[in-house]
Amino acid sequence: MADVKLERINKAYGSVEILRDINLEISHGEFVVFVGPSGSGKSTLLRMIGGLERITSGRLCVDGRTVNDVDAADRNLSMVFQNYALYPHMTVGQNMAFPLEMAKATKSKIQARVGETAKLLQIEHLLDRKPRQLSGGQRQRVAIGRAIVREPKVFLFDEPLSNLDAELRVQMRIQIAKLHRQLGNTMIYVTHDQVEAMTMADKIVVLRAGRIEQVGAPYDLYHHPASQFVAGFIGSPKMNFLDCRLVEATREGARITLSDGRGVTLPVGAIDLPSGSPLVLGIRPDDFVPPGANRDELSLDIVVDVVEHLGSVTYLYGAVGSDAIVAVSPSNQVRGKEASASIAVAPRDCYLFSKDGVAFRREGVSERWN
Amino acid sequence: MIASRSLYVRLALNALVLLAAAVLVFPLVWILMTALKTQSQVMAWPPQFVFTPTLENFRVLFDAASAGATNYGTIKIDFLSPIENSVIIAVGSVIVSVIVGVPVGYVLARRDIPYKEDIAFFILGFRFAPVLLVVIPLFSVFQAIGLYDTYVGMIWVYQVVTLPMIVWLSRSYIEDIPRELEDAAAMDGASSIQIVWRVVLPLLKPGLIGASLLVFLLAWHNFALGLMLSSAKAPVTVALLKLLNPGVQFYPVMAAGLVVTMAVPVVLILLGQRHLERGLTFGAVK
Repeated sequence: MADVKLERINKAYGSVEILRDINLEISHGEFVVFVGPSGSGKSTLLRMIGGLERITSGRLCVDGRTVNDVDAADRNLSMVFQNYALYPHMTVGQNMAFPLEMAKATKSKIQARVGETAKLLQIEHLLDRKPRQLSGGQRQRVAIGRAIVREPKVFLFDEPLSNLDAELRVQMRIQIAKLHRQLGNTMIYVTHDQVEAMTMADKIVVLRAGRIEQVGAPYDLYHHPASQFVAGFIGSPKMNFLDCRLVEATREGARITLSDGRGVTLPVGAIDLPSGSPLVLGIRPDDFVPPGANRDELSLDIVVDVVEHLGSVTYLYGAVGSDAIVAVSPSNQVRGKEASASIAVAPRDCYLFSKDGVAFRREGVSERWN
Repeated sequence: MIASRSLYVRLALNALVLLAAAVLVFPLVWILMTALKTQSQVMAWPPQFVFTPTLENFRVLFDAASAGATNYGTIKIDFLSPIENSVIIAVGSVIVSVIVGVPVGYVLARRDIPYKEDIAFFILGFRFAPVLLVVIPLFSVFQAIGLYDTYVGMIWVYQVVTLPMIVWLSRSYIEDIPRELEDAAAMDGASSIQIVWRVVLPLLKPGLIGASLLVFLLAWHNFALGLMLSSAKAPVTVALLKLLNPGVQFYPVMAAGLVVTMAVPVVLILLGQRHLERGLTFGAVK
């Protein structure tokens, strides 16, 4: 049974629509990540599930019960906030005991649960400190502790790692993923960081301007993006987009040409467009290979502006015709600061979008890992 | 690097500071000295700066048994009950203002209500009105409904002075408390009342103590309302006026009354100073 179910959810402030027609089912134990650029409505959606924002229309079910008009306090969810939101006048122990006190747990149970949770998060030695005496990472762990101490059905995370430095963020990411495995609860996690989404999620929900753009497993979103927006959002560095034209659509795929006349046949599903229609070709920077590896490859000549040596790999920033392009190349392939480079991509690694951003089905790329 | 000032500039600046301090402190010192002198020392010319201090004037103020008898005449005074009145009226006004004003401040800070800014400004508007404008009609109203010269009436009318301050100060203090704390408490299962009681009020406490102190001083210093609307229940500021005698002026006794009146706020400020700092919300959010 679904733990959380959203049916035709809308949110508007006056005449300003924030979220439109959100339909989503989240099953028990799933780790779902809402991801999208700022202003996409992902935090608002999370706060609506939590009960901190009113739902303008639609139905929200938690654990089989419609909770549209149920107060946040009575939804049995817990939330970790971006700014931690620890109670500054209480010690760490009191902060963690607070949800249990509100649930009218017995003193002995409170003590036992706070102890267990502190041990799980390795913050036992901090129980008597005030939040202001803690580092950012410690505060974050206390905030997580306060959320899990009550053992609610569903945890909500609102960009919990965005205030931490890069190194700590990776650590906490792993800790939250581990916690999810240990506790087995449903977790809904909001972030604008696609790396967090890719690494943690069972299911990613990509939001854009108040609508769900695509829902799927990280693998699906990466290999079968529904739109140019998702393709550009998932993956780092960003996917390259090159303008092209359809020459003809055959059973083997679509034959396209770039503005400089180079052509390639891509294995995509049926295209119902007249020849000459403008299309967008998508190539992930790390799918480029040295030319000559594939027989029917698409080769490109890049005018290189900047070369970044990262050690294991090298980033080439430049342009093909009038389109900016980024390529990732093994570091031993590029030396110094080359002014131009020849690179190629296999047709099966290419993505194809219509001019209005809808992706065409890629053939020959499996649906899932297994 | 900070440019170092020359010795002369530094000397001149320090001299200016000393001069300003002397100008400000002189009247206070003068009053204190007068309060500790005898009548003849006060009247002496040139003024004496070296004398043997006496507490005789304070005895005259409070010694109800000898009814204000001095060795050079009798002044009709009862200074103890005005102090009592002032304490009751000022403390009562602060308590009523806090009980009424903090919820108002909370609503103005947190809730979306129609005409919010207009309501807030209307409340503040009471601070702009000259008290004398209100006090003359109030005099006849109070006499008609039996509130004249009662503590209840005084505390009620003092709300004009104290309530707007408490509303505005508590509003701005509550706005400084991160909203996420209230969201977090709601997610943790707290009801609206529990949120205010367990999270908002403890964080508001230092600011509220400071605000109460400030408002207490406003109430303590008020003169016009007490003068017009009370007689037996008159506050200490009015009692000071009554020290003006038709015949001989008892300057040292008047000075002693002033010292007592000023001492209360000074002691309160010294005691409450540490509450005026509001560092408690630090650490709540990054």
